[in-house]
Amino acid sequence: MLVESLHVGFAGREVLHNLSAEFYRGQLAVILGRSGSGKTTFLRAFNRLNECFPRSETRGSLKLKLRGEWRDIYQNEMPLPELRHRVGMVFQTPHLLPGSIADNLALPVKLVLGLPRRDIPSRVEWALEEAHLWEEVKDRLEAPAHTLSGGQQQRLCLARLLALDPEILLLDEPTASLDFRASLKVEELLLTLKERYTIIAVSHSLSQARRLADEALILRDGSIVQRFSREDLQAPDTLQVLLEEMF
Amino acid sequence: MGTVVLVLLSSLLAIPLGLASGIYLAHYATGSWKKWFSLAVELLAGIPSIFMGLFGFALILFLRKTLAPQANTCLLLSAGCLALLVLPYLILMTQTALEALPHELRLAGLSLGFTSWQNIVRVLLPAAGRGILSGVILAVGRAAEDTAVILLTGVVANSGLPSGILSKYEALPFHIFFLASEARSDVELAQGFGAALILLMLTAALFVGAYYLKSTFGKAWNPKNLLI
Repeated sequence: MLVESLHVGFAGREVLHNLSAEFYRGQLAVILGRSGSGKTTFLRAFNRLNECFPRSETRGSLKLKLRGEWRDIYQNEMPLPELRHRVGMVFQTPHLLPGSIADNLALPVKLVLGLPRRDIPSRVEWALEEAHLWEEVKDRLEAPAHTLSGGQQQRLCLARLLALDPEILLLDEPTASLDFRASLKVEELLLTLKERYTIIAVSHSLSQARRLADEALILRDGSIVQRFSREDLQAPDTLQVLLEEMF
Repeated sequence: MGTVVLVLLSSLLAIPLGLASGIYLAHYATGSWKKWFSLAVELLAGIPSIFMGLFGFALILFLRKTLAPQANTCLLLSAGCLALLVLPYLILMTQTALEALPHELRLAGLSLGFTSWQNIVRVLLPAAGRGILSGVILAVGRAAEDTAVILLTGVVANSGLPSGILSKYEALPFHIFFLASEARSDVELAQGFGAALILLMLTAALFVGAYYLKSTFGKAWNPKNLLI
């Protein structure tokens, strides 16, 4: 993924200024920064979700290699629904669809992938297993999705993404609303997923970044101010820099 | 029977148009066009029903002098005018119900790759179903009880079952009005009270049904349950 001179603004106020960065397949990059630094806006630029907010403006170039081909997503080289199913997103709080646990997976699979009805149950089961949720919900697939715990709901959202066979995962503080144990489960899941997907995650937690990230970017006032490799992140003096940047 | 056909016909005309306009205002209209469209809907909501009847009557006079000399007041004209009368309720309730949904719900479908239309039909409309249903019930109830519109657009005191949508018809509200003002015997007056009771029961049944639908629909699609 190649970001070049990206500017994003809302209602005439620029939020991201001239961002340039590269991200590599099979790596998990974590974006860190204070509240209001533009982390979520940056993340939403990858699936053009900023355009769902009033008066958003984006300039610059963002090239993604999808299905082996480079596409500049801001040059309309790809229809928006296709881009968004290839570049899946999990939000800070679980954004469930109306209906049951099974509906939450079956509806997107049916509408987006157009799978025949007979193939949907196996796809649902596969996705739930991928998200390490199958054992917990296999006996209550028809229960309303909102009856799951917060952590389970977040993993359901991840399963829903995986069912659509994405190539890039965008995670906006996926453990922000979860307790310690539920967070650990999601983190374990991410560690297994990063081998197969390119993942960009926003996080507020330094320790989480150190556990998960292959690379970390620090955002301040809409600009990238530092980049750290996995080795840098483990170094004790990096922690001091991170603490100063974030608090 | 006339009332039932009238309400069905006006609902058939008003509900699709009202829902479509509500969706348009909530999701597609922007800027000054949205402002003007909303103003037009509010103005339409403020028009007294007798004016709507006069509009229908004037329309028929216009048609008779121009395109269709045979045109006459009829069931279709009444249904059209009633549809215009209840249209603002449907538009406003649909728009309000859709706009009241959390923005996160809208993003959920779009972020998965749903098209805008799929997102509206498969996610947002079911989630806003309760509010929209309230608008539909309100509109149907209003259409069933209105007398002023039908008075000038085709209702008669005695026609039996309507033979077609271009014929005259009887309707309960007018029948009650007629008997109340022109009753010549105690029997006719008692008939008027009976008709009023039937209209009351019809409307009550409609509202009870609506309440039932609303509560079952509400349990399944309560937006509070959609997001933690």
